[in-house]
Amino acid sequence: MTAYDVMPDIELYQPATVEDATELAARLKGSAWLLAGGQDTYGWLKDRAKTVEAMIDLKGIDALKGIRETPGGVEIGALTTLTEIVRHPLIGERYPLLREAAAVVASPQIRNMGTLGGNLCQDTRCWYYRRGLSCYRAGGNTCYADSPAGMNREHALFGASRCVAVSPSDTAIALSALEATMIATSRRGSREIPADDFFVGPDVDIVNMTALAADEVLASVRLPDRWANAEFHFEKVADRNVWDFALVSIAAALRMRDGHIENARFACGGVACVPYRLPAVERAVVGKPRSESTGEQAAHLASRGAKPLNHNQFKVPLMENLVRRALRG
Amino acid sequence: MEIVRYREDVWGREVLLGVSWDLLWLVIAATFIVIMVHAAIMLARKSGPRPSADGERLSRHAAQDRWFHWITAAAFFVLLATGVLPIVGVKFPWLTAHWVAGIVLTAAIVFHIVRSLFWKDLAAIWIKPSDLAELAGGAAAPLPGKYSLAQKGMHLAMAVLVLVAVGTGIAMLVQIDTPWWARSNFLSEAALGWMFLLHGLSTLALIGFAALHLYFTARPEKQFYLRAMVKGWVSRSELAAHHDPARWTPDAAASGDAAQASPGLGADAR
Repeated sequence: MTAYDVMPDIELYQPATVEDATELAARLKGSAWLLAGGQDTYGWLKDRAKTVEAMIDLKGIDALKGIRETPGGVEIGALTTLTEIVRHPLIGERYPLLREAAAVVASPQIRNMGTLGGNLCQDTRCWYYRRGLSCYRAGGNTCYADSPAGMNREHALFGASRCVAVSPSDTAIALSALEATMIATSRRGSREIPADDFFVGPDVDIVNMTALAADEVLASVRLPDRWANAEFHFEKVADRNVWDFALVSIAAALRMRDGHIENARFACGGVACVPYRLPAVERAVVGKPRSESTGEQAAHLASRGAKPLNHNQFKVPLMENLVRRALRG
Repeated sequence: MEIVRYREDVWGREVLLGVSWDLLWLVIAATFIVIMVHAAIMLARKSGPRPSADGERLSRHAAQDRWFHWITAAAFFVLLATGVLPIVGVKFPWLTAHWVAGIVLTAAIVFHIVRSLFWKDLAAIWIKPSDLAELAGGAAAPLPGKYSLAQKGMHLAMAVLVLVAVGTGIAMLVQIDTPWWARSNFLSEAALGWMFLLHGLSTLALIGFAALHLYFTARPEKQFYLRAMVKGWVSRSELAAHHDPARWTPDAAASGDAAQASPGLGADAR
């Protein structure tokens, strides 16, 4: 593939208000790129793996930034940087799960620039797709990763429907475990999308990873009080400790009562195109203490239904071990 | 307006992806116009009295053929909904329902082909040179046998299109995981592009033909054909009005009064 190293000609728009941004998104939908922190933008465009006519730079919109307390919990603007989330006392105090997830995204420099919205909406890392091949996700008719010679060590165990790419977002699984909701706004109005519906698999939409319509802007993320100050566990396994994507990761939220688990939510990253919830594990651990033996009992439930590819069987025991460790306490 | 979708790959080559779905709107618009024009012409024409459905009942479609028709129709509409709705923006997990309906359609077609070859009068549906006289229209046109030239033409077109859709669909089915096999990569990207193109083109044409089929089924003067496809029979008057008894001599609908009183899908006919 030719490396161009320079940006193509793109019309740049820098709206200062949400209204202007949604107006532009509606007018340019399909041909515009919504720019947040820009940490997964320029490679696509310089390589010509994606081509757009316009770029809507959202960074000038103050309304999309910041963390604020709301009657029902906490609301985080989509343009809030990952470093701000890591350092914010409200997040650290009530939702340390999200803080831990944000703290392991890429590298300090990227976290300084990268935003929560960008981290949630970033595209998959499947290199066949990113290389510009005409795979299903790129609008083509085949999957190169799921082929006899395909290199699929990092790809999906669950929910693969033709495309086997996985979500690369670290914060997505934390938000799924926290039952967050995403606020999508457009000229048509705003809508609240539960985290579990915000991320979409290839069975529903093979070319998009989120439920956002082409004219919608992710405005904020709401964290409900329901899981504030619960017990949490976040762990990410990657080839490198810094500046790498998860091979498998886990986010667990556990509400305890009298030393026993009253309610639990688990979400795994790196194993599906969406944050992969573990409902069987969640049901199995209710009423049990957070202990080694509970983890032992529940771990095998996590990987039930997994369909490993040629090179990613290692993810099955890895996932089970992460469940064990999450329940060990 | 594009007819075919291409994408430039990493080596700068154009990869054939399939049909351009812009054509869907063209097909819908063209079909709508044809239907409107026909409806307007028929409205302007003075229609004569319709033949009575009373009296002797004659067998037109055997139970097996009616089951085939309705199973095919159900599978077709599931395929259409699961195939086209995601393209127009309705997002849902469509793939499994699509290929399951495709297998049902394929099985029904295999059944129909075998039955037509060995148990039915294949010539009755085949277009013959003598049928072309029906093109004259009006009083000069001869009455058809069991099937009119239009019906034969519709059947031939649908048969060719469905076979193309099924054949390309099977090639595409082998490329995805099912409970019985893991996906294969036996088709090259270019060959897959052709499969998708032919599948898409046949689908678009089938949408048009299916819409026309539904329209003619709904037309008042043709509704006895719908009844025949549900219940199996036409009346002696309907036969005389629309068909040449010398070219098509059907049997009585069924033995006994039961068929007269309740001629359901169980009524037999050859």
